[in-house]
Amino acid sequence: MEEFNSGEEILQVVFNPDEISVSVKECVEGVIGGTDYNQSKVNQWTASIVEHSLTHLVKQGRPFKYIVNCTIMQKSGAGLHTANSCYWDTATDGSCTVRWENRTMYCVVSVFAVAVAL
Amino acid sequence: MLLEREITSWKRHKAGFVVEDVSTIIKESVEATIGGNAYQHNRVNQWTTSIVEQCLSQLSKLGKPFKYIITCVIMQKNGAGMQTASTCFWDNSTDGSCTVRWENKFVYCIVSVFGLAI
Repeated sequence: MEEFNSGEEILQVVFNPDEISVSVKECVEGVIGGTDYNQSKVNQWTASIVEHSLTHLVKQGRPFKYIVNCTIMQKSGAGLHTANSCYWDTATDGSCTVRWENRTMYCVVSVFAVAVAL
Repeated sequence: MLLEREITSWKRHKAGFVVEDVSTIIKESVEATIGGNAYQHNRVNQWTTSIVEQCLSQLSKLGKPFKYIITCVIMQKNGAGMQTASTCFWDNSTDGSCTVRWENKFVYCIVSVFGLAI
């Protein structure tokens, strides 16, 4: 009996947090690396970070819905605490959080990926 | 005949992401957890966890066919600036989000709920 190999690749539907973490860090560096906290610009920065991150994720072409969340906070001694909770399919869905800081501000970016039923 | 059509349209609306219901759930959860308390570094961890868990259990009790992602940020009021942005890549006709900003004399609390249809 001859074996028939269709030659099709199996599309892997698994969330890869390390890869995403690297691309998000580059994105943040590109937008606010080397700048100080500036109240008039922070609005554009957060919008820019989430848009670039999302564009990069969508380009990968995987069957996921994405939510990208970015918080920038000025360093002035205030306390900040964040928490996330997710009700999803732990086998296919996942999240990744990147913490970045410089001398004058903190930046926290969270990416959530939810698999789409094909 | 008119009554049947109204009931069907109400059912279809209720099956989707209803912002008012979710907003109420979030507000009650935050009030019950933080209430009039001041920012306490050693308790804020429990507060964020408690808020997201309460919200999640109330939302799953709604019994809708959704996956949920809940984010909670608690910040001490001391003059620091903070900016948050989110962007989502999903199905506009079925998915939705709701963000509640709450404050008392001592803290700000921002809770976001994202609902993705299965």
